[in-house]
Amino acid sequence: MTSTDPGRTPHPTENPFTTLPDPQIWGPVRALPSALLGGALVSYRTLISPLYGQVCRFFPSCSAYALEAVQVHGAVRGSWLAARRLGRCHPWTDGGVDPVPPGRRIWPEGRHPRIIELNHPPIPPDLPEEQ
Amino acid sequence: MNFFDIILWPFKMAVSWVLGAFHTLLDWIGMPPESGWTWTLAIILLVVLIRTLLIPVFVKQIKAQRAMQALQPEIQKLQAKYKGKKDQLSRQAMAMEQQALFKQHGTSPFSACLPMLVQMPFFFALYQVLIGAKGAAERNEGISALSADQVRSFENSELFGAKMSDTFLGSTGDNLNVNVLIVSVVMILLMTASMFYMQKMLMSKNMSEAAMTGPFAQSQKMMLYVLPLVFGIGGINFPIGVLVYWTATNFWAVGQQTWIIRNNPTPGSQAERELNERRAAKGLPPIGKAAQEAEEAAAKAELKAQRQQGQRQQPARKNRRKK
Repeated sequence: MTSTDPGRTPHPTENPFTTLPDPQIWGPVRALPSALLGGALVSYRTLISPLYGQVCRFFPSCSAYALEAVQVHGAVRGSWLAARRLGRCHPWTDGGVDPVPPGRRIWPEGRHPRIIELNHPPIPPDLPEEQ
Repeated sequence: MNFFDIILWPFKMAVSWVLGAFHTLLDWIGMPPESGWTWTLAIILLVVLIRTLLIPVFVKQIKAQRAMQALQPEIQKLQAKYKGKKDQLSRQAMAMEQQALFKQHGTSPFSACLPMLVQMPFFFALYQVLIGAKGAAERNEGISALSADQVRSFENSELFGAKMSDTFLGSTGDNLNVNVLIVSVVMILLMTASMFYMQKMLMSKNMSEAAMTGPFAQSQKMMLYVLPLVFGIGGINFPIGVLVYWTATNFWAVGQQTWIIRNNPTPGSQAERELNERRAAKGLPPIGKAAQEAEEAAAKAELKAQRQQGQRQQPARKNRRKK
């Protein structure tokens, strides 16, 4: 979704959404399981998550990671990736930026889920140093 | 047993066993076993043991706090960068940059408070053991690893005429006991004063300038007054044994903090300047932020010297032009 200008040095936290070679658009049948799971995750994120506030040590947070993983990799592989992330998120980790690995799924122009934009926000350039 | 009791059970076992063992040891080296002084000393030894074992935890906590404090300028830079940008994507971008920053410095807002949680079960366990002594003595029972005889001995031992399980509140009115009132008030004063002194020392000497102006400083200031107040008010309901424990713990903490401030102060703090003054008096090189600044100054001077050398070739050209 995001393209990098070749002449610009990337920011250390830059993390554009990328897809593997041979990307494909999923039909309604292929997309159904991930859409169902995704719906459940979205309702968790709107109803239950806000009660805790920001507690995850990673960016994106575990539920945002799960939502993107399920949308991009499908219900089975997405759940597996989300479970592994939950295993990584414990009090003894330093956390950090931990994006969902790239998959093959793409969406028609402008139809991609909002979570993908939220998980890969464009980083504005740093303010000039004051001397 | 509820969930809380099940979790506390092993801690209560350990704490009570160690307390009984210290008492037996003191008895064995000739102190009177029924005396309140023997039990008081046993509690103090328990404090010394627990706090010694917790030193690595504190070292970790201090490191995490230092890392957080060192991060403050960069966090402020981030906040300036995203100032006024309230849309969701900018918020996300800021969260992302912040997480990357924490990772880079190997810290997070959580890692500074985790070590505090580690010591909580010990405090709760000891509190429950000490506070349960009265009831157990009346029923002629033991508590965790303490035998019924030990509990009775503990319960009946006196310190300046105050029993270990007496409380300030329980010694007023009909059960008036002036000894208990005096002993508990003196201990509450010692406990809260040491707490206040500790926090005051931390704020005036061991905080960097960046930390003293941030939001962090506000919460520290609150702690300065609120914590002693809470313990002062709570203290009138603590048994003497618990007061002995808290007072000993606070005195240990004051000693530990004095040592840290003297020998390993926060970079950029008043205590670090004092340490470097002492080091300078002994002819030792400065450490910490001052050393870093000296290094930077030296590097700058060198750069300047190099530039000047580069300019010094110009007069030669001028000379040639004059010819």
